[in-house]
Amino acid sequence: MKPHRRRKLYFLLFLLLSSGGAIALTLMALTENINLFYSPAEIVSGVAPVNKRIRAGGMVLEDSIFRSESDLEVRFIVTDLQGSEFTIFYTGILPDLFREGQGVVARGALNEDGDFLAEEVLAKHDENYMPPEVMDVIDQAHGDLQK
Amino acid sequence: MKRMVNRKQKTEPGGCALKMGNFFHRLGSPRPFYELSGVVLPVAGVLTLISLVVGSIWALGFAPPDYQQGESVRIMYIHVPSAIVAQSSYMMMGIAGVIFLIWRIKIADIALQCAAPIGASLTFLALVTGAIWGKPTWGAWWVWDARLTSTLVLFFLFIGVIVLRSAKDGSEAVGRATAMLAVVGLVNLPIIKFSVDWWFTLHQPSSFSLTESPSMPAEMWLPLLVMVIGFYLFFFFTWMYRVRTEILKREHRSQWVRSIDDV
Amino acid sequence: MRIILLTVKRDLLLYFRKPGDIFNPLAFSLLVISLFPLGVGPSADILGEISAGIIWVAALLTTLFSIDLMFKEDYEDGTLEQMILGREPLLLVVYGKIIAQWLVGGLVITLLSPLLGMMFYVNTDGILATVLALMLATPTMTLIGSIGAALTLGLNKGGVLIAILILPLYLPVLILGVAMIDTATAGDNYAGHVLWLAAILAISIGFAPLATEQGIRISLSE
Repeated sequence: MKPHRRRKLYFLLFLLLSSGGAIALTLMALTENINLFYSPAEIVSGVAPVNKRIRAGGMVLEDSIFRSESDLEVRFIVTDLQGSEFTIFYTGILPDLFREGQGVVARGALNEDGDFLAEEVLAKHDENYMPPEVMDVIDQAHGDLQK
Repeated sequence: MKRMVNRKQKTEPGGCALKMGNFFHRLGSPRPFYELSGVVLPVAGVLTLISLVVGSIWALGFAPPDYQQGESVRIMYIHVPSAIVAQSSYMMMGIAGVIFLIWRIKIADIALQCAAPIGASLTFLALVTGAIWGKPTWGAWWVWDARLTSTLVLFFLFIGVIVLRSAKDGSEAVGRATAMLAVVGLVNLPIIKFSVDWWFTLHQPSSFSLTESPSMPAEMWLPLLVMVIGFYLFFFFTWMYRVRTEILKREHRSQWVRSIDDV
Repeated sequence: MRIILLTVKRDLLLYFRKPGDIFNPLAFSLLVISLFPLGVGPSADILGEISAGIIWVAALLTTLFSIDLMFKEDYEDGTLEQMILGREPLLLVVYGKIIAQWLVGGLVITLLSPLLGMMFYVNTDGILATVLALMLATPTMTLIGSIGAALTLGLNKGGVLIAILILPLYLPVLILGVAMIDTATAGDNYAGHVLWLAAILAISIGFAPLATEQGIRISLSE
């Protein structure tokens, strides 16, 4: 093989090695969770650290929102719909999308009692859009089915 | 050989014996492009106006509110089109960059240069409308997650292209350096696209895909579609306008530019 | 291989002959970050919280300022042109120059980082992660930075232009790096961040020098 050909070959091998390495590392990285984000199950089982700033989230449980009458304090239960749930305390204005059955993400810290004191509550939105009337119809259909 | 053919055509005064094969070849040189775009431009302008007016009235006046977000969902009709077209315009810049680096077609350089400011403005619009939308729905103007950050990077990339291109006006070497930067920046596009699927984020996943039916009813996605088309047309119109201006600027010494009456 | 080593040797020799070129950016960024405790107050809590960001600012500043000089002198005295015309492939020369640049820039700030960490009350876990993160990230920053340096050769706008071009490309590395230090300081597992940084480094080693080489050719084509 001529030297410049060999050089080209080496270089191609090198590029392959570099991209292959990058892909392998990325695939390995994707299996690791790099978000400081804890699910209700992790909070209940004690995986989440206490008194450290973390993010936690899940679905707001139906009929679990209690608002204070004097100020903006609010308390609600977050669940993963599989039996794990914890309480979030928050003082401030909640986003529009915040409601029962909606996904939320809270930033704050867990205290020793397993309650989450939130500094910020964000609502996670899904990709579904619907006019209110359609939603009513769907809800009714669900209700009929359940009967 | 190719170059010879090309040169011969250039001297041919506006001849329109077009074979499909050299149609694109001709489009690659400034003069035929200028002449053709002169015909296309007014049509594009009218279509832009129609689709944007119809789309806006439909979206803001007649489309239904969302069951959860209420009226604030209407920001979507500006936010989504501007974000889509901003990314597409970067894509176009990247492709133009590749073409310019390989074949050194002048028009590609001009196309790239003219797309950057429009793309930057659209990205800015997407970021601002996103912030306005985010505050009532998520509860925050801005969050540093993958989707928002990579879109911010897109904005900076546009700025980088603009700044580098204007470092030395009309220099071919700077044009190629800019093309290089635009091509390197293409890495960012898949990151924006897949950021909502790969990482945890507040930003909702895409409601549309080629393979599945959209997760919103027709009375919402139809006006959105009209707006997206309108934004694409708007981009095309302003871009072509800028390209024509830039052609005149670069070729102002040539015979054919001097012979145009209405300049 | 030999040509890479030779280039590294030559560039290092040149850097050591003019220590100001490497020392000044370093001194500047150290100065900047020692202003932080004076600015935000010397409270260990606040400094601990922003320490990761500050250390990264130092690394970014050092890289940015020194990357500007990477090809400058060779460009001005015509050496770069000879390197293009020479028998040895320009790409290998570029690899050599990048390695030399990293040795005097990125590596130095990596070795200094434990000291900075202590200044800002980072705990042992955090300092270990800082060193590891910078070890993985500074080569990437030099590699990506070299593209910017090559593209702006001969444009008399200097450092500001490079900063605008390459800082956006640094953002992913910066975000991952800061998150990694924060995660480590909190005592959590940061393997995911390490893998991401390594993946970005792997892809940059393969492809960034290619872009740099093309960039040099483009910039010298006039």
